[in-house]
Amino acid sequence: MSGPVRRSASPRRLVAIGVTLIMLLSPFLWLLQMSFKSNDLILQFPPPLIFTPTLQNYASLWQGAFAASFVNSLMSASFSTALALVLGVPAAYALSRWAGRGKHALSFAILVTRMAPPIAFTIPFFLFYRWIGLLDTVTGLVLVYTSFNLPLVIWMMQPFFETVPSSLEEAALVDGASTRVVFLQIVLPMVAPGIAATAILCFLYAWNDFFFALILTRTNARTAPVAVVNFMNYEGWEWGKIAAGGSLVMAPVLIFSLAVRRYLVSGLTAGAVKG
Amino acid sequence: MSGEGLVDAERRRFNAIALAPSLIVLFVIAGLPAIYLVVTSLTPFQLVNPGSSTDFSSPLRNYLLLPGDPRFVNSLWVQAKLSFWGVLLQVLLGMLLALLLHTQSRVVEFARTLFLIPMVLPPIVVAIIWKLIYTPDISPLYYAAGLLNVTMPSLTSSVDFALTAIIIADTWEWMPFTFLMVLAALQTIPEEFSEAALVDGANRLQIFFYITLPFITPILVISGMFRLIDSVKAFPLVFLLTGGGPGSVTEVTNYYAYLLAFDFNEIGYSSSVTIVMLLLVVAVSLGVVWMGRRREAMA
Repeated sequence: MSGPVRRSASPRRLVAIGVTLIMLLSPFLWLLQMSFKSNDLILQFPPPLIFTPTLQNYASLWQGAFAASFVNSLMSASFSTALALVLGVPAAYALSRWAGRGKHALSFAILVTRMAPPIAFTIPFFLFYRWIGLLDTVTGLVLVYTSFNLPLVIWMMQPFFETVPSSLEEAALVDGASTRVVFLQIVLPMVAPGIAATAILCFLYAWNDFFFALILTRTNARTAPVAVVNFMNYEGWEWGKIAAGGSLVMAPVLIFSLAVRRYLVSGLTAGAVKG
Repeated sequence: MSGEGLVDAERRRFNAIALAPSLIVLFVIAGLPAIYLVVTSLTPFQLVNPGSSTDFSSPLRNYLLLPGDPRFVNSLWVQAKLSFWGVLLQVLLGMLLALLLHTQSRVVEFARTLFLIPMVLPPIVVAIIWKLIYTPDISPLYYAAGLLNVTMPSLTSSVDFALTAIIIADTWEWMPFTFLMVLAALQTIPEEFSEAALVDGANRLQIFFYITLPFITPILVISGMFRLIDSVKAFPLVFLLTGGGPGSVTEVTNYYAYLLAFDFNEIGYSSSVTIVMLLLVVAVSLGVVWMGRRREAMA
C-alpha cells in the first residue's frame, strides 16, 4: 500500500454495515425460509424461530410440470448463449482490430438493442412466430434471446481482444500463419476467461427473462419463471410451492453471478461506457 | 511490399467473414422487427381482423389518437413518477451505501458481494419476494404492524400506496447497481486530497461536500440515467404486484402497450405506443452516450 494508512473499518462502521446488510437481505431470506416450510407453518404467526425444514415443496415441484419448464429454461438459455458466442466472438475480434469510423454508430446500435423495452421486439416476434409456427417452441425463445445476447457478446468481448498484444499476432503472421489460424490458435486461448465471463452473463440474461417467455410460450416451451407465476394464477395460492419455485429459479443465478461480479456493470452498461 | 498487401487482403477477407454472419443475424432478428414495428404502427391492425394489417389508408391515425387517449397520457405520467422517485432513491441510497462500504477490510469486501444479491436475482423472483411481503396473510411486515397496533392498508390494492409499493420494490432491486458504480468512482479519488483537507482542519462533512461529491457527481448522473432508461422495464413488478391497478394507478406505458397488444388485440395501436416509448428511450440513450464521451474527453 502506498502512502499513509488508509482509514480501516472501525467497529462502529462494521456494525452499521452488518445491520444494513441484514435489513437489505431480509426480504430475500424470507422467501428462502418459506420454501422450507409446510403451508400450515407459513401461515403461523409469530413465525417460529426454529422449525424442522421440509423439502416437500421442492419434491412436489419436481414431480409436477415444473421440472419440464426448468429444462426449457436451461435449454433456451444455453442454446442462445452458444449461438451468440459462435456468431459474436469472431465479430468482436474483427471489430477490435478495425479502426473504421463505423465503430461509434455500431456501439450506438448495440446500445439501442439492449435498451429497447422488450415489448418493441415482442410484437413483431409474436406475429412472425404465429405465422411460421414458432410460437411455444424452445427454438423461438433461442432466437429472441439471441437478439439481446449477440450485441452483448460483441460489446463485451472487444476489450478482452484489445488486451492481446498485437506483436504476438504479427510474429505468427510473418511466419506465414493465416489470420484464421492466428485467431483460433493464438488469440482465442488468451481470451478464454473473457469468453467464460461473457457466456455466464448471456446465460443469466436469457435465464432471467420473463416477458418474452410469457408471451411467446404456452405450455410446451414454458420456462421456469413463467411456471412459477402460474402457481399463483391457476393452482390456488400455494405459497410453499411458489417460494420453492422462486428459490430454484434464483439458485443458478446466485452461483454464477458471484463468479462474474466484476463484469456485471459492463454487462448492464453495454454500449455507452467503455468496458 | 506485395507481401504486406497480401496479408492486408487476407486480413480484410477474414474480417468480412467474421463480421458478416453477426451483422446478417442482427439485421434479421433486430433490424427487421424494428422496421416491422414501424410499419404496423401505421395500420389499424387488429388480430381478429387480418385484412387490417395492410390497411395504410390513414397511416398517422394511431399517432393522432395518442394525445387524446387518457389512458396513454396517464401511463406516461405514471412512468414519469415511477422513474423519478425510483432513480432518485436508488442514486441517493446507493451513494450512502457506497460511502458506508468504502473502507478497507476483508470482511467488508465479502459483504460488498452480498449487497449485490437483489440486483442479480431474476426480476420475476424479486416480484415474488415483494408479493410475499405485501400479502397480509403471510407477510412479516403486516405481522409487525399488528404487534405495534398499526392497521396497514393493503398496499398493492390501495390507490394511495400502490405506486409507492412498486417504487420500494424497484429501489430495493436496483440500488446495488448505483452502489457498485459509485463505489468504483470512490476508489479512484486520490487519497492525498482528503488528507490535505484534513491537515487544513476540514471536517468530514466538508470533505464530503467539497471533495468527494464533486468527484463522484458525473458517476451519479450517469448511473441515474442508466436507471432511467431501464426503469421502463419494470414490467414484472407491475405485472405481479398490481396488474396496473387499482384502476390505472400503476399502469406504466410498457404495461399499457402489453395490454393493448395481447389483451385487447390492438396490435397496430400498441405498436404506435411502443414506438413513442422507444423514441423516448433512444433520446435518453443518446444523452448517456454523449455524456460518456464528454467524460472520456475530460479524463
